[in-house]
Amino acid sequence: MKLIKDKVAKLSFVALLVSLTAAMFYAPAASAHGEKSQAAFMRMRTIHWFDLNWSKEEVPVNETMTISGKFLVFAGWPETVDKPEVSFLNVGIPGPVFIRAGSWIGGQLVPRSVSLELGETYEFKVLLKARRPGDWHVHSMMNVQGGGPIIGPGKWVTITGSMRDFVNPVTTLTGQTIDLEHYALDNVYFWHAVWFAIAFAWLLFWIKRPLFVPRHIAVASGKADTLISAGDKKVAMLFGVGTLVVVAAAMGAANEKYPITTPLQAGLIRGMKTYQMPEATVSVKVDDATYRVPGRAMQMTLTITNNGDSAVRLGEFNTAGVRFLEPAVHEDETNYPDDLLAEEGLTVSDNSPLAPGETRTVEVTASDAAWEVYRLADLIYDPDSRFAGLLFFWDENGTRQMVTVDAPLIPSFI
Amino acid sequence: MSASQSAVRSRAEAVQVSRTFDWMILFTLFTAVLGGYHIHYMLTGGDWDFWTDWKDRRLWVTVAPIVSITFPAAVQACLWWRYRLPIGATLSVVALMIGEWINRYFNFWGWTYFPVNICFPSNLLPGAIVLDVILMLGNSMTLTAVVGGLAYGLLFYPGNWPIIAPLHVPVEYNGMMMTLADLQGYHYVRTGTPEYIRMVEKGTLRTFGKDVAPVSAFFSGFVSIIIYFLWHFFGRWFAKTDFISDDAT
Repeated sequence: MKLIKDKVAKLSFVALLVSLTAAMFYAPAASAHGEKSQAAFMRMRTIHWFDLNWSKEEVPVNETMTISGKFLVFAGWPETVDKPEVSFLNVGIPGPVFIRAGSWIGGQLVPRSVSLELGETYEFKVLLKARRPGDWHVHSMMNVQGGGPIIGPGKWVTITGSMRDFVNPVTTLTGQTIDLEHYALDNVYFWHAVWFAIAFAWLLFWIKRPLFVPRHIAVASGKADTLISAGDKKVAMLFGVGTLVVVAAAMGAANEKYPITTPLQAGLIRGMKTYQMPEATVSVKVDDATYRVPGRAMQMTLTITNNGDSAVRLGEFNTAGVRFLEPAVHEDETNYPDDLLAEEGLTVSDNSPLAPGETRTVEVTASDAAWEVYRLADLIYDPDSRFAGLLFFWDENGTRQMVTVDAPLIPSFI
Repeated sequence: MSASQSAVRSRAEAVQVSRTFDWMILFTLFTAVLGGYHIHYMLTGGDWDFWTDWKDRRLWVTVAPIVSITFPAAVQACLWWRYRLPIGATLSVVALMIGEWINRYFNFWGWTYFPVNICFPSNLLPGAIVLDVILMLGNSMTLTAVVGGLAYGLLFYPGNWPIIAPLHVPVEYNGMMMTLADLQGYHYVRTGTPEYIRMVEKGTLRTFGKDVAPVSAFFSGFVSIIIYFLWHFFGRWFAKTDFISDDAT
């Protein structure tokens, strides 16, 4: 017996050492959200995020910041992804490092899921309150039922201070102001402790006596009934009735203490207000598009027609949140994340102003390491090798118009 | 020492060995049930148990007892019919809830910083105690399944209401009414758990208006009866000793 005990003790000690050693290994925090792993066609052909703005790059605990901007629900939504008829405006952050103090689409609060229309543009804003210090990658994000999370561009934001100082005051409709961070926690612990105590008392009543070997011998020899005494039955009755009494009394007390309660709220919000972009007077036809693998560049042959009354120039190609700019036409002034911004990434074979009524065919090249870094080049391995994105044109007055493109993409490996 | 010789030399030593054996088996059983039951409950009950804004009066009430009466029924089968020990259900649920609390406290709060008041586990203990008491007093699987299974389903909601009631106090937030539990779910961002995944207040059970929880609890109790039978037989099957050769005795 002693030998067995010694062996158990020795093995337990070894297991403890192994556990402690394993726990001491460096385990870095997962700070980003796998946005680069998401299929390229999902990011290029579903939700196009643009005009994004992160109001702050450093926020103290308890202070707020916003992510705002617009998103286009792409008309050429891929067949392999469920349409965004049930969607939820989310943020991609590593857990509740911020709390979501508010989120709006078209000015409407959206704590619930919403129905979005293909081809429409929506304006959104998410108000975040800093909770946990650290450097966090903060993304816009749209969850689509049947489609999964569609993550937008992310930017690093630093939260300073201490989480101990975080408070989340809320005033209920019964007039009570509570701190939601700690609210009702004592009540949770109390009732769980009560029930654990009752359950342990029941277990202790039985396990304090000899258990398996003698009881098995008794059952096997047909003396099972001798194992339960009249006293045991009385105790069992006490536990059974006591349980029912405690449940009933606790429920009554809860109803008395909280006379006004409502069921959980749920539902789908339809008819979201769309954002009306200025009507595009430029039309674009994609004659062909190739992705040159060695050069990390996408080349498009576009036939552009200007049907407006002012000359225009192409200034930006935006796809999957990566912005390729033609610096002679447009420069970013929003402090957009560097890794998603190719400030000189767009070249046009002839980008002289396109006069009203004029049609021109040009070679447009969007090149940047972002194709590889953000794994957009993986598009060539997708089941539906089409690319899509937003083209932004500016006229002489600085007025912007947006045109979507959606066409097959042919890879070039040489 | 040959196989025919006893490993103990006195009755006192035999009692001591038997008692040591008790604790070893109890510890092994407890941890094995904790692990198996925990995985089972997380896979089948999952989010309904994780988050306060999933704990509604329809599906949570229906699902949680049905998927959680499984291991209690199986362990009862083994401990009662082999050892006349009426602790199978309580032991299983205590193991599960200890596992749940470890998970919620160290994972949900310690690693990902969700406040405990949004992610505490459901209370399954009242039903488990009653299940054990009914088995012991009735000494009948059928009675335990029918009366105990029904009681297990019926006791779930009232056993949890004192814990979740404070979180069902309404609040007006930016022009919308919601419960504090809804607000928790909205405030404390879950990137991978969008709002539409919640299965709350869904179904066609509208006839009884606001008094839907008792109807859900009865339905849950009825299905729990069937699940009890099924898992009781699993327990009996697992508690068989057919694998021990007669030659060994």
